[in-house]
Amino acid sequence: MYTLSDQQIDFILNDIKLRGVEMEDLQLNLLDHICCIIECELEQEGDFEDFYHKTIPKFFKKELKEIEEETKLLLTFKNFYAMKKTMIRTGIFSAITIVLGSFFKVMHWPGAGALLVLGIGSISLLFLPLMIILKTKDTSNKRDKFVLASSGAVGFFLCWATLFAVMHWPGNGIFWIIAICISAFVLIPVYFFTGIRNPETKLNTIVTTVVLVGATGLQFTMLNIRPAVKQTQIKMYSYIQGEELLKKIQNSSSGRTLESASRSIIVENINNKAEQIKSMIIMNAIGESKIPKNFESEGHFIEEGNLGINFFDNGKGIKLLSDLKAEINKYNASGGMNMENKIPIDHSVLDIEFDKIGRYSNYSVLNSITQIQMYLATAENKLTAFK
Amino acid sequence: MIHNLQIHKTLMYICPMYSSELIKGTLKTIILKLLSENKEMYGYEITQKVKDLTDNKIQITEGALYPTLHALENDGIVTTEIVNIGKRVRKYYKLTPKGKNSATEKVTEFADFINTMKFLLDIKPQLG
Repeated sequence: MYTLSDQQIDFILNDIKLRGVEMEDLQLNLLDHICCIIECELEQEGDFEDFYHKTIPKFFKKELKEIEEETKLLLTFKNFYAMKKTMIRTGIFSAITIVLGSFFKVMHWPGAGALLVLGIGSISLLFLPLMIILKTKDTSNKRDKFVLASSGAVGFFLCWATLFAVMHWPGNGIFWIIAICISAFVLIPVYFFTGIRNPETKLNTIVTTVVLVGATGLQFTMLNIRPAVKQTQIKMYSYIQGEELLKKIQNSSSGRTLESASRSIIVENINNKAEQIKSMIIMNAIGESKIPKNFESEGHFIEEGNLGINFFDNGKGIKLLSDLKAEINKYNASGGMNMENKIPIDHSVLDIEFDKIGRYSNYSVLNSITQIQMYLATAENKLTAFK
Repeated sequence: MIHNLQIHKTLMYICPMYSSELIKGTLKTIILKLLSENKEMYGYEITQKVKDLTDNKIQITEGALYPTLHALENDGIVTTEIVNIGKRVRKYYKLTPKGKNSATEKVTEFADFINTMKFLLDIKPQLG
């Protein structure tokens, strides 16, 4: 029976660590095990180093850290069913919240944003990673693992690109481009060139590659047809110019005294309602009631979109529009108003049936309201100038 | 499928004279049975005991034993006690109350399985 010295024990422990075993528990187990083998099987006069180097390879196939990897695998495997359950639950939850969120978004109902953030967040941060982990465990093939991981990355970035686009957050374009690049330059080439070599997977590889190329191409096309930032900028600038022009006209009449107090109240009411409607639309688009001065650097561009059936807050917008129309009719009917100074309702946003307002774009309503206010300010200028 | 894969991976480390299909899933049962018969055992002792009891027909290697022992500890089936042996430490494993039930269940299940297989394969007891 061999007696190990302290130095020899330290040597074994260091060697175990150097061979990549990091779990302290496992290090101590292996140390004791190796020491037992040496003590029982090596003769008192035997060569320690020679015996040790012959013994240690019996512990593994390629390297010692296989034991640690196997241990970790078994410990994770314990969580397999919990992970699978979580994956299924988050999958169902994500699917329901995304469908509901999209529906709410289309209908312009409150809560759409929260549902979409929850749904897309859970699908990309819980469902997708869990699915990739479980699927990669299912296969020992490195190529399949790589394909799974890269398709997971594509899915993740597509989810976030969609979320950022829907929520009008800046930077969605970057996510789209990353997703398309991973798909076009990593996923598809690796999948195709590794799969095509194997006669068994050749046909399947070709078919799936065609689908992947098609899907990536569609994504790319969608990236291209999405309104360019410049296009949105032009619409935004045009609206801001209109607003500034309106202020200029309104300012030129300030300080003058209106001859009729009742008309003055109507004018105030019209402008009030108009501003409220515009604030609602802007608030819905960028989350602020007024366009901030630094909207360009903050990326707060109003994306063109339909108002939605209920026109925000259960038809509050529609009510404001009908009130506005009533005030304008009052204004047009007020005493001494000639045809020239009347505010034309024809071809304006007030000319349409309000239950169809949801089909109109936010920009067309904003601009139409501004134009009404311009008509009003011009008419008031003329009326006060003649006095 | 994953379950089978894990077992298969584990079996790569067992060097039996039997084919791997025959002893699939038996490692836990072997360890639990040994621990139920001995108050406490350490890793090397378990491998030697199996070797002796089976006349070298089943040899559990370290690569299979320690991951399984860690998993059993993690599941609360075994508990450990650390004893200092000079400069090194030795980890003794013993069954928890939950582990005792688990050992009985595993052995009963395996015995039942053997009986079913005997019946299924029409194996007659060999005389002598």
